[in-house]
Amino acid sequence: MALQQRIRGRQAHAPGSTFLAYTPNGNKLVTVGVDNFCRIYSTGSDDEPVTIDDCQENNSAIVAGDGFFIAGSEDGVVSRFSLERNNMEEMLVRTNGPVRDLALSPDGNWVAVASDDLTVKVVNTRDMMQIQYLRDQPGPVKHVAFDNSGSRLTVSCTDGNIYVYSLSSEEPSMIKKVDGMIKRLESDAEASSKVLWHPDGRAFATPTPTREIQVMSFSDWERQRSFRTKHSADITAAAWSPNGAILATTSSDLTLRLWDASTQTLLHEYNDLKATILAMVWHPTENILSYTNNDGELFIHTDIVPSEHASLLQKSLQPAPFFHDPSEGRAGNAQPKLTNGTKHTLPDRARRAGTPDSLDDILGSDGISDDGVDDFVVDDDGAGYANGYGKRTNGHLGALQNPSSKRRAYSSSSFRPETHEAFQPGSTPWRGNRRYLCLNLVGFVWTVSQEASHHTVTVEFYDREFHRDFHFTDPWLYDKACLNDNGTLFSCQPSGDAPAIIYYRPHETWTTRTDWRTELPRGERVMAIALSESYVVVTTSTNYVRIFTLFGIPLRVYRQKASPTVTCAAWRDYVLTIGNGPIAGDGSCQLLYTIENVKRDEVYQSEDIVALTPHSTLSSVFFSDEGDPFIYDSTGVLLTLLHWRTPSQARWMPLLDTNLLSRLSTGQKQESYWPVAVANRRFHCIILKGQDTHPYFPRPILSEFEFQIPITGPPKEKSEEDEVMEDGDEEKGRKANREKERLEHAFLLNSTLYLQLLDTITSSRPSPHQRQSLSDLEISIDKTLLQMLGQECLAGEDRGMKALEIVGLMKDNNGKMLELARRVAMRYGREVLGEKIGELAERRAAQIEEED
Amino acid sequence: MALPLPPGLTPPEIAFLCEMELVTVIPRQRLEGLELLGGRLPPLNPPHRTPLPLWLALLLKRQRRANILPPPWLSPHSLSAILEYETKNEEGFSPTPRLPPLPSNNSIMFSPPFLPSSTAEAAPDALPYHWLELGEMLLEAAADDFEDSDNVRKLLQGLREVRMSKLRKGVELLDAEGGIKMNGVGGMEVGEARAFVGGVIDGLRKIVASREQQRRDREKEERENGYPSTADYDEDEMEMQ
Repeated sequence: MALQQRIRGRQAHAPGSTFLAYTPNGNKLVTVGVDNFCRIYSTGSDDEPVTIDDCQENNSAIVAGDGFFIAGSEDGVVSRFSLERNNMEEMLVRTNGPVRDLALSPDGNWVAVASDDLTVKVVNTRDMMQIQYLRDQPGPVKHVAFDNSGSRLTVSCTDGNIYVYSLSSEEPSMIKKVDGMIKRLESDAEASSKVLWHPDGRAFATPTPTREIQVMSFSDWERQRSFRTKHSADITAAAWSPNGAILATTSSDLTLRLWDASTQTLLHEYNDLKATILAMVWHPTENILSYTNNDGELFIHTDIVPSEHASLLQKSLQPAPFFHDPSEGRAGNAQPKLTNGTKHTLPDRARRAGTPDSLDDILGSDGISDDGVDDFVVDDDGAGYANGYGKRTNGHLGALQNPSSKRRAYSSSSFRPETHEAFQPGSTPWRGNRRYLCLNLVGFVWTVSQEASHHTVTVEFYDREFHRDFHFTDPWLYDKACLNDNGTLFSCQPSGDAPAIIYYRPHETWTTRTDWRTELPRGERVMAIALSESYVVVTTSTNYVRIFTLFGIPLRVYRQKASPTVTCAAWRDYVLTIGNGPIAGDGSCQLLYTIENVKRDEVYQSEDIVALTPHSTLSSVFFSDEGDPFIYDSTGVLLTLLHWRTPSQARWMPLLDTNLLSRLSTGQKQESYWPVAVANRRFHCIILKGQDTHPYFPRPILSEFEFQIPITGPPKEKSEEDEVMEDGDEEKGRKANREKERLEHAFLLNSTLYLQLLDTITSSRPSPHQRQSLSDLEISIDKTLLQMLGQECLAGEDRGMKALEIVGLMKDNNGKMLELARRVAMRYGREVLGEKIGELAERRAAQIEEED
Repeated sequence: MALPLPPGLTPPEIAFLCEMELVTVIPRQRLEGLELLGGRLPPLNPPHRTPLPLWLALLLKRQRRANILPPPWLSPHSLSAILEYETKNEEGFSPTPRLPPLPSNNSIMFSPPFLPSSTAEAAPDALPYHWLELGEMLLEAAADDFEDSDNVRKLLQGLREVRMSKLRKGVELLDAEGGIKMNGVGGMEVGEARAFVGGVIDGLRKIVASREQQRRDREKEERENGYPSTADYDEDEMEMQ
């Protein structure tokens, strides 16, 4: 290729604005211009193009589908032409103002028409009676673009905002207005503000007023990397290569530049252009970029990518240039890179249903594309990209229901168990260039990735007086952290030859600060870390649990029985590790936990089951301030472990079901709860509005909820009319009923807390405070029962059996409670009941004596 | 010799009373529990929410030792709902917060300073007794703890105007031995209304009194002229007034 063939322009149309489009298979190229004909070129032949005559003049946009193309002209006519018969078929729609842009949905069924009218029309290409109108933008529209699924349309308005519509429902709705990305432009300006969806569908790019190409992720509307194009005039056209690896940009400064998408560096520059390029299209498969300029010429630029970079075009679908790929997972456990074949050292778990960026989720009931999105990215070469990013796996359908997509034919095994992905409790994934490494009641650790290859880590405390906030530059790229009152623990992943590092930094000591670093064996990745008041716990990709003292002395290394490992937590001497166990009924791995006391070297619970409902995942695991293990799952239930110090006696007890909270009972709020901690017998969490799944900056305030064991539904809110209508009796009855529910709940909750505290006290040296709160709980249980007894006595003689049962439930450690109960019964005139209570008291007293 | 102060409570006095109210704070520093005359204050332990009297919360806020959580009824959403209710219903004020169920066997009536009407757990749909002064004080001292303090300020001002105009309208009825239903009127509003309601009543009394004086003068004249006297009866009536 030393003698590069000079690219000859073809005079397709009379001098003036000219536009072009490739058919999806790339065989044909259609151009329109100022004169009243269209031309159809065949790829790879230098023959004279076919000309279609019966066309409008001054065409301003064209799109091509399978066997047809659609052209729009400045007199407002949008017509469909057949590529088979090479004639005009029908006029699809008319607009009042000139047509500015057309966009064809990927399945070819819908065409969006941008014009100087205020509304954007989306017309069915087969049936022009089906039209959807998008009216939220206040001005004429310059560009429209469908995303890769065809369910979302971006509208670049002349007011400098991008309006994103969802077309998946019956009635199209605007989901986001993005301002500050594009320039205000006249609708007939040559400069472009077109939204370019990256082929991987998770991000789009637009030219900015500063002549950059800015990438924005679709899921969270965060600005990602940008291409500093250094064009000296406004960008007039840009295009991603079909695999997303190369970006081509051009501007009215008569240069055409090619950029490497992954590094945003310039690959090649063509500066021998004669006129401004107005439209630019990559050939779907070959190394060809075709473009038309404002002088009526068409260039079919073969070998546009120089041979030294041409391999980029051969790659499979490339990820969009994010700062941090969202698919890195919640805890930044980077999944194995895209490789050929579907070998995974750790089988990846599908994205959790309910994340906003899972396309399949949003497209569940797709109104536009009939055959769904499964076939859009066809994994026809077995490269695995169709599921490599966890986007296209139909994880929410469950592992056993392998969808009947084309994937099946190529995958070697039709069944693959789903393992739970590893995560670090209290951390969030990257969003933009920041993330929380740790968020708890002591403080929070967050990191910002800087331009160069380092992060800035900041540790802040709630108690500003007790600890001083600090921050440092972090060349090791720590991706996990733990924080408690004594110190901060960090860990980073191995990169290249450098091994993984554990770094502990105590807050303050009575000697000089003794922070330490230790390296793990080469290649061993850190999956989760935990920090207690006396130990440091690290679980790794080789399934080792490594326990260090606070001064870095390795105390224990053992292989976790349940693997691959998921997470760990620690409190004082207790260490809780969780791993994937055998496969459960829903096709995913059951989680198994182990709790041990490191100091006594005693295993309390070995490989016991973490009770999750089918298809739900574990969101967080932590110890409360009283030292009891808690888990929070993806269904929004907080569970605690009862009797966990006695082997095989442990039981998961729900203490709060956030779906039953009274604040959600109106049904208007859509919010989720991000667990932080349990302290003072309250659940501390961050309330996330709408579709958010993780907290972001600025740091939201913590909310607290009382425990509420799911016994009955949420309290019903009465409407005002009801209150007026109610009779006195009815009102009284309802009140009594509510009171009964409240007492029953208080009884169950206090009994649970009592049992838990009793376990704690019997296994450790109790503090006076703990003893006090135990006896408080005991008394409050009996008090609640007394109140319940009172209610039963009030209700009538026939409730005596139940009343006696309530008395039987009393703890009555001091012997006074039964006497009190007898008196209550007597006061209500229930003599028989009183006698029976007396008998019960005697029996109990006798029993105690026998035992003595 | 009259006191230089107008009758009733002055605004600073009402604000002082309001400082007894409990508000929820998120402490940023530890503080041991305090034994005070008004009762025991819970220890502060960041970042646990703690109910504190307003005076202490404001003190800590000024020293940057705590953040105050505005009560739910001070959110723009609730305020605009209440404002809409006030403007739609020409008569009467928005209802007061519902009282919690009385604890059994306890005859102590619960009233605002001892009710958590301004903590983070308060009802979001009703204005408590000290709504105006509490809102003003929080906006002044802890504007940065509000989500949208400008909007809250605007809404509070709107509410104040709507309710004051209702109170003034009520005074027009006072003439013909009418009354105003003042359920749901806040402390500061009572104090503010007292000034002009008192003025109006005083004015009315003066008018009536001067008329009475005239009548008495006339009767005196008549009595001196020897007409039958009903003065005893009249004087009794005057005393009764």
